Amino acid sequence: MTTTEARPAGGVRARGVRRGIIDTDVHPVPRSVDEIRAYLAMPWRDMYSGERRAFFNNPVHGSRLDAVPPDGGPKGSDPEFLRRQLMQEYGVSHPILVPRTFCNIQPDVDYGSAIAAAFNQWLVETWLGEYNHDGAFKGSITINHHDPQRAVEEIERWAGHPHIVQVVTDSGARAPLGQRQYYPIYEACQRHDLPLAVHPGTDGMGMNVQPSPGMPAHYIEWHCSMSLAFQSHLVSLLTEGVFERFPRFRIALLEGGVAWLPPLMWRLDAYWKALRKEVPWVRRPPSEYLRDHVRLASQPLERPDDDRHLLSILEAMDAEHVLMFSSDYPHWDFDSPTRAFPKLPDHLWQRIFVDNAGEFYGLT
Amino acid sequence: MRTHPVGRVSEIPPGSRRIVEVDGRSIGVFNVGGRFYALRNICPHQGAPLCLGSVGGTAVPSRPGEYVWAREGEILTCPWHGWEFDLTTGRSVFNPHRTRVRSYDVSVRSGSDEDPAVPTFPVSVDDGVVLLHL
Repeated sequence: MTTTEARPAGGVRARGVRRGIIDTDVHPVPRSVDEIRAYLAMPWRDMYSGERRAFFNNPVHGSRLDAVPPDGGPKGSDPEFLRRQLMQEYGVSHPILVPRTFCNIQPDVDYGSAIAAAFNQWLVETWLGEYNHDGAFKGSITINHHDPQRAVEEIERWAGHPHIVQVVTDSGARAPLGQRQYYPIYEACQRHDLPLAVHPGTDGMGMNVQPSPGMPAHYIEWHCSMSLAFQSHLVSLLTEGVFERFPRFRIALLEGGVAWLPPLMWRLDAYWKALRKEVPWVRRPPSEYLRDHVRLASQPLERPDDDRHLLSILEAMDAEHVLMFSSDYPHWDFDSPTRAFPKLPDHLWQRIFVDNAGEFYGLT
Repeated sequence: MRTHPVGRVSEIPPGSRRIVEVDGRSIGVFNVGGRFYALRNICPHQGAPLCLGSVGGTAVPSRPGEYVWAREGEILTCPWHGWEFDLTTGRSVFNPHRTRVRSYDVSVRSGSDEDPAVPTFPVSVDDGVVLLHL
């Protein structure tokens, strides 16, 4: 018998691990606010204090308690410990890094865009540079979509970086993402063949509209309602004809839920038959645009008591082509690569955990 | 049933825990107000190291708008997804009948002169040995 400290047991390979997984939602965290401040010009450098959303913080804990690095520091701030807990333990070969900047809560778009730019430079120099000796880490250009002009400048600035695989913004917005004020961003994404990822966390905060009728009272409501924003954004993107206007533009919906997709598409396809003349640029049933243009990240995967119900949803949503595994490491609702899904047929596992993301991000 | 010494009582004071490895199984031994309890260190949900979670109380079921904080020191919250477990039984708070973690018996042998498996610091003869029964 041996006694161990009450410490994480990272590095022990979990049972049932298979290799080569691409994890499409992983959150690298600065070791301190000063790491970001160093990339901010005055007056922002003095102003920035690592602002996050003011409320709807998780009442239990926001990140896995066992994700504290051995040498201390914030959870998710130590690249070697992240490699141990995610790559060695679970066989993830490429974590797709999505920094949480909260830049688009700011009413001052100059400030919000400056925060995005600082995070981008930080990410490129640290996780995609100094920490990336093996090239495993792939990253995202953060933009402030309230400021399309500066957002395009950020895309232009980093699009050529060898480890940048996408652009990312928040689902927290003032208007649905299909509307034309965002088109310069989509045009830049298409020009550089970079998908746009959308991630929750600033819905209803600062500048952004809450995607429910008014403010919910509790974190559990706010968190559960995050998928509402994704549904609204997706319907907007499809009906506004974004994928007709930008035929090579692609979008990844991260942490927005999964199981809502089939019934929403059933509704939209049904209405389209009668209402298509209102949006005549939608040339095909809206759901038919998904396979060419839209991917969903799996976490937090809904798990009904009966696995068969989830498996039939995966079939109905064409998971074989549109679903990509994600863990959300190191956040509290981390989905384990070995435990989050019911047992899948080998072919479907390979599509969801490896091939869909590999093809989407050009990592095959 | 086999018995494994876990340590001296004084080494696991009230509110603390010790995580041990027995026959390849990781088990957390908790001192809850002077009584010892042991739970398997694997959450039945997604396999998290459950015994690394925080220990505290919980808001027990109550009428709408009312908060009743209770069970202080007896509730273990999973370090990943926050599922709550009753340290004294291994049963989950949200569904005690269906969702539970394996628990083990623990006893204290008082005044033992037998050394626990892991030597730490000098102890008095009155300092009992915490025994885990598998």
